Amino acid sequence: MVEGLGKRVVTEAYPWAPLEVPEGFRGKPVIDPEKCVGCGSCVNACPPNALTLSDDGRHRVVKLFLGRCIFCGRCEEVCPFNAIELTKEFELATSSTEDLVQEVRLVMAKCTVCGRPYATLREVRKVAESLPENLRGLAYVCPDCRGRISSYFVGFARR
Amino acid sequence: MRRASGSEVLGRVVETLKRLGAESVTVTQEGVVLSTVTKDRLRDFVRALIREYGESLRHSTCMGTDLRPVRGSFSVTHVLALDGLRLYLLVETEAFGNRPKVPSLTPLLPAANWAEREARDLLGIEFEGHPEPVKLILPDPWPEGVFPLRKDYPYNKKLYETPAQVRGVRGEPRFFSAKPSPPSESVREGCALIPVGPYHPALHEPEYYELYVEGERIVEARYRGFFVHRGMEKLAESRMTINQVPFLAERICGICGYTHACAYCQAVEAAARIEVPERALYIRSILLEIERLHSHILWFGVAFHMLGFDTGFMAMWRIREEVMRVAEALTGNRKTYGMNLVGGVRRDIDEGKASLVLRMLESVEGEFRRFCDSVLSMREVVERVKEVGVLTREDARRLGAVGPHARASGLGIDVRVDHPYAAYRFVDVNVAVRDSCDVLARILVRYDEVIESVRLIRELLKNMPKGELMAEYGDLPPLRVGLGATEAPRGEDIHLVITGRGNKLYRWRPRAPSYVNLATVPTMLEGERLANAPIIIASIDPCFSCTDHVVVVDLRTGVRRRMNLLRNALTRG
Repeated sequence: MVEGLGKRVVTEAYPWAPLEVPEGFRGKPVIDPEKCVGCGSCVNACPPNALTLSDDGRHRVVKLFLGRCIFCGRCEEVCPFNAIELTKEFELATSSTEDLVQEVRLVMAKCTVCGRPYATLREVRKVAESLPENLRGLAYVCPDCRGRISSYFVGFARR
Repeated sequence: MRRASGSEVLGRVVETLKRLGAESVTVTQEGVVLSTVTKDRLRDFVRALIREYGESLRHSTCMGTDLRPVRGSFSVTHVLALDGLRLYLLVETEAFGNRPKVPSLTPLLPAANWAEREARDLLGIEFEGHPEPVKLILPDPWPEGVFPLRKDYPYNKKLYETPAQVRGVRGEPRFFSAKPSPPSESVREGCALIPVGPYHPALHEPEYYELYVEGERIVEARYRGFFVHRGMEKLAESRMTINQVPFLAERICGICGYTHACAYCQAVEAAARIEVPERALYIRSILLEIERLHSHILWFGVAFHMLGFDTGFMAMWRIREEVMRVAEALTGNRKTYGMNLVGGVRRDIDEGKASLVLRMLESVEGEFRRFCDSVLSMREVVERVKEVGVLTREDARRLGAVGPHARASGLGIDVRVDHPYAAYRFVDVNVAVRDSCDVLARILVRYDEVIESVRLIRELLKNMPKGELMAEYGDLPPLRVGLGATEAPRGEDIHLVITGRGNKLYRWRPRAPSYVNLATVPTMLEGERLANAPIIIASIDPCFSCTDHVVVVDLRTGVRRRMNLLRNALTRG
């Protein structure tokens, strides 16, 4: 016990001095609005529903509400484009709820056949890039119409 | 590490179960045997089991399930542990109708008391012959005939819509009243009532003890808990997918959360027959031991605080802080590790991190030893806890005590050895057992366990094989039963799952160790001096959040007369 007397002070000076957190600390998640395509992978994985998707016809909004976030980092893990990352930031106390919200608005693509908005333009372009040139047009068609078109072609081939 | 005779033992047990009248017997996973019994034969079956296995049969928990959408019935699954044989026996029985009835096992196995009452509260299953058929989980004013865990009760349904309804007619709060129910008729005249709670003065958690004292002696003790039920099971069953639940499971407890995440993942992995890579198993074990380390050291701090020895409290928490920092470096958070998914772990422990751990162990072990050795050599401390809060071996067995609490009463049970999981299959664990049955024994058991954890982490780090961290698997097969058990810092933690469709759970039943240990507290308190009550309550390292994750209530366990009733029933049966 006497031994303890000579020890250095273990109490941190924080909040009067900054507090170092280690590499890999799971702090506030931040979405990179340039990278996000609005695919919704993170929304499906998020355990507490801190991430939500909403479509209003013209836009899709990916919303992160830190008030529900449990900092598990599942969003970071499942994002196919590394668009969401956990930072080292942990000082999130605020008197305004707005400070706890991050929204990413993305323009929707309309189906070139039926005109229905079906995915974000950015996601559709990513898909198109991955297809061979002669099939690229299919990316701009909604899944329903795509199904109809391909069954038409299949039927045509059989005939 | 499995005994060579493992399959022989299993074969013999399966035969015995068939002979004793089980309708069907299936081995659902390694170390778990499921038998189904008609409800008319349930009591005879269990009575025969008790006769067959005697003392080594321990009632662990039971799970009620609303299977009406699938089979048109309710089921009750009792979990019986045969620790010596490294087996869990699941005994399932079915009941039909809107108010299903099954025979209660409490008269045969008193440890079934709470678990049966929980199923009664939440699912409306009546247990015939239960000696204490009163509410456990739900608050007193909860309406009759409303059962929140039934499948036809929506998870987001509000029982009362307006504030007026919540307040009740006379403006009295309808819910969460800390006022205990009227005192039972067994309270003798001339006794003074000392309330402890509804917030524990040192553990800062909601619980309520009613201590009846004559002079300084406690003549009767009652416990009322379950104030912080969070409806987790319902939430997981209705809204979450299997890989979201580990994060919810982890939040069952504010100290030993990771053990819940592990038990849950093991249950699902068993149900879906997922082989977890060995490296992931090692990482789980290492983190579980790190958790035990910080949990036990924290407990030492609290115990010293209870004894009025605050220097010890501060010193322990200073030592513990190093463990917390290392946990943060390994997982990204001090406490909620978030490391588990079904099938493995999410982060590796590389060379750099391993050396961090080793350095921490070095200093923590040294400081802990030096400090506790000097404290335990002080007569003032030892005399203060010696022969205080005695729980006899027989009582511990009867009430189903688990973990360090049971080990301090001479029962050498430890899930790490009796039902090896994670990497405990590959290393030997020395089980600390003491038989003086008092608070001192509980301190000494935990002391040994801290030292053993340090040794285990070193060995695990040394033997950790290279390889993958996560298993690959497809969709979950529906309606399979899985059991996951871990040795939490406080004792056996059991998670039972029934898988559902669409990567969801049909049923999830976690049972924390404090759930069974708390039921032993009134027995320890009776006959003690009032001044000893705080340390006795703290000596089981109770975790109220763990216990209460399930819903609210009123409890009268431990009233001596009732215990006698139970004992009589037991000897008669």
